[in-house]
Amino acid sequence: MALQMLPHEHVKETLYTETLPNGLTVFILPKQGFQKTYATFSTRYGSVDNHFQVEGGERKKVPDGIAHFLEHKMFEEPTGDIFSVFASQGASANAYTSFDRTVYLFSATGQIEDNLRTLIDFVQNPYFTDANVEKEKGIIGQEIKMYQDNADWRSYYGLIEAMYQKHPVHIDIAGTIESISQISKEMLYDCYRTFYHPSNMMLFIVGGVDPQRIIDIVRENQAAKTFQPQGQIHRFFEPEPMEVRASLKLTKLPVSLPKCLFGCKEPGQTAAGRELLRKELSMKVLLDALLSPSSAIYQSLYDEKLISDSFGSEYNISEQYAFSVMGGDTRDPELLVARVKEEIDKAKASGIQAAEFERSRKKKIGAYLRMLNSPEAIAGEFTKYRFKGVDFFDILPAYESLTLEEVNEQLRRHFDWSRLAVSVVRSDAE
Amino acid sequence: MKGVVVSLKETRFERGTVRNMRVHVLPTKQFKTFAFSVYIGSPLKEETVTPTALTPFVLRRGSRAYPETRRFRERLDDLYGAGFGFDVYKRGDAQIVQFRMDVIHDDFVSGHEPLLASSLKFIGEALTDPALENGAFLPKYVDSEKDNLKKRLEAIVNDKIRYAAERCIEEMCRNEPYRLHPLGSIKALGAITPESLHASYRQWLQSSPIDIYVVGDTSLEQVLPFVDRWFQTEGAPGIGYAGKTQHRAVEQVNEVIEQMDVGQGKLNMGLRTYTTYADEAYPAALMYNGILGGFPHSKLFVNVREKASLAYYASSRLDGHKGIMTIQSGIEIGNYEKASAIIKEQLLAMEQGQISDIELQQTKAMIAGHLRELQDSAFELIAFDFNNVLSGAERTVPALIDGIERIGVEQIRRFAQQVKLDTVYFLRDRKGGA
Repeated sequence: MALQMLPHEHVKETLYTETLPNGLTVFILPKQGFQKTYATFSTRYGSVDNHFQVEGGERKKVPDGIAHFLEHKMFEEPTGDIFSVFASQGASANAYTSFDRTVYLFSATGQIEDNLRTLIDFVQNPYFTDANVEKEKGIIGQEIKMYQDNADWRSYYGLIEAMYQKHPVHIDIAGTIESISQISKEMLYDCYRTFYHPSNMMLFIVGGVDPQRIIDIVRENQAAKTFQPQGQIHRFFEPEPMEVRASLKLTKLPVSLPKCLFGCKEPGQTAAGRELLRKELSMKVLLDALLSPSSAIYQSLYDEKLISDSFGSEYNISEQYAFSVMGGDTRDPELLVARVKEEIDKAKASGIQAAEFERSRKKKIGAYLRMLNSPEAIAGEFTKYRFKGVDFFDILPAYESLTLEEVNEQLRRHFDWSRLAVSVVRSDAE
Repeated sequence: MKGVVVSLKETRFERGTVRNMRVHVLPTKQFKTFAFSVYIGSPLKEETVTPTALTPFVLRRGSRAYPETRRFRERLDDLYGAGFGFDVYKRGDAQIVQFRMDVIHDDFVSGHEPLLASSLKFIGEALTDPALENGAFLPKYVDSEKDNLKKRLEAIVNDKIRYAAERCIEEMCRNEPYRLHPLGSIKALGAITPESLHASYRQWLQSSPIDIYVVGDTSLEQVLPFVDRWFQTEGAPGIGYAGKTQHRAVEQVNEVIEQMDVGQGKLNMGLRTYTTYADEAYPAALMYNGILGGFPHSKLFVNVREKASLAYYASSRLDGHKGIMTIQSGIEIGNYEKASAIIKEQLLAMEQGQISDIELQQTKAMIAGHLRELQDSAFELIAFDFNNVLSGAERTVPALIDGIERIGVEQIRRFAQQVKLDTVYFLRDRKGGA
């Protein structure tokens, strides 16, 4: 196998890639003139993967929050805390767990080879004991409590909870104090062996590096370790009903103004690969044309003092779920939802105009190109898309080939008010 | 182990002046964008803090060329979705308003419009040639932005981590200008009219130091005529930043407990370091903060979180322009005494110079790494340079790294002995007595 070179001339970037014999996929993006190197080592394993089976093995259900718990525990090695090793090598290390992936990363301006080996080795060397698992429950317990007091977080997750009845996307990534109390070192090892197999992982390195030198290090490192071949991982999800779980979710927390987020849940299987990307990008252009600060709707709502700078919108899509999120702080949640519905219904009747479409598309292209200044953003987005079967470098051509018709079709299709859910956080909620 | 030395690029800003406005340009081909920052600073004062904070909110509603907010924002969309925003914050005893803009380099797009010139025109006009009506700001913009700013001020309480941090500073600096919130106060908003705001805006523009930064594939020579043409104002000659803040002695530790409907307690401490950015001891201050609580290998993270399992976050932060340091942690309410005691033990360990070679070496490597990383971000390069403008220092990244490398345990110990705990602030639930 040789290092493959993938030039992307339209953005003046060249990506290098290779899949190693053990199944690990490696991507390297050299950035001339950058001091920093940023590397992510990611597994396609997140909070939604709580029910699974490896081909030939038994079917397993695990407690909520275990992927995130595992992420915390990976930083502990028999020799101590891995942060300390990175610090000695001048690197900042971190990790995060989302619905569908766990990402370990470092950024450094020197000793790149040592730091890269440290990253790979610590993620490939689990060390769990009864005592260190128990100790972590106190720390994660405080993390959960911190989020419980965070009104923005509560309104966002409250919305997903209101939308989904069965799909585990509605379960808190960190789990609950109750669910993490059930986690044992044996369960952690089980999940680890399943999802941290090299064939379920990818390594992304971006910065002022020599691709050949980097791939040599990774090859040598992996060749020295043995991994039993692993069959395919099957993930099980109960069928998700079309209807939302609740049309309104109310949460009581001390806030100065109610926080109101709302959105539509799309029914059934969504899309995959390029089709998924086109759907995502047309929804993003659509939401921008409808609701960005330069839209007519935004200005009206702002003048009516119904919204503030906190108002925004987003669209989330994976192969199993897709939903929009709109809203922000407001004096009157009911009125805000009613006004947005009214305005979107008007837009549905008239369609997005060509000029609005062009402007929003141009804005999205600009934002994409600006993002290419940031190694962190490239690594993060590349990984996120790759796990959805999408090539990050297809985004620009996809925006360029997007049509007004596609966007207007999304407009007619997406906003089905029978699948609207609303999440409100307010001080006086009962 | 010694860190591999990565050769640092020359970052040399070209500098010029247009009508007392300082222009700083860093020519570089590293980025796919042009980045712009305009800093306007004024002394932090009770009388002016609120109108000054409100000003950028009103300016971003429209310029004379684009008086309607929607057209103003569409103009940004047409510049390939150029980023445009502002921040209002405190640096030492100054209130800084920073406007930011970034736009794609022309090479990546097929349009015919020169994006550097169009951006400088946009930002210059937004700041110095706003939409007016009868010689004052538009009443509808002033009215709605007063409402917006009021909501922002009211919303501070929503984020408990930030709220606790700001309350701790407010308590600690109750007799200093630094107690003021950079966005001003709700009380002072009421009296502001379109006329009074316009008058204070003119006064602010004419009497404050203005620094204009551009980073990208351009030069001072190219930028100066654009500034001359589109920034229609004239600063006063010879104005700069006052420099050093007044340091206060600590007589006794001020303990404040506040109750609210929260599940997690927020423990914050404020300390005085008697050292600011331009001081020779600044590298020692950075090292002190790094060893105590700046990183995951630091004493606070290791002892409060990893050893005692009391918190998810426990860290310290240095405010180099004000010369204070803060400590913050989120804990179980019943663990207040326990967590405070562990934090105070770490402060004592610093005073006694209980710092291992490993801690010293790791902290140096981390700080040097962060300083080198600055060079990959146009806005970070600008912010580093502006620290010099603000403080009167002439520090470069390599010089600061060199300063860090020379610090030994003895210097940190000496520095630790001048650090004084001033305020302990605890945000807790409503159960139990305060």
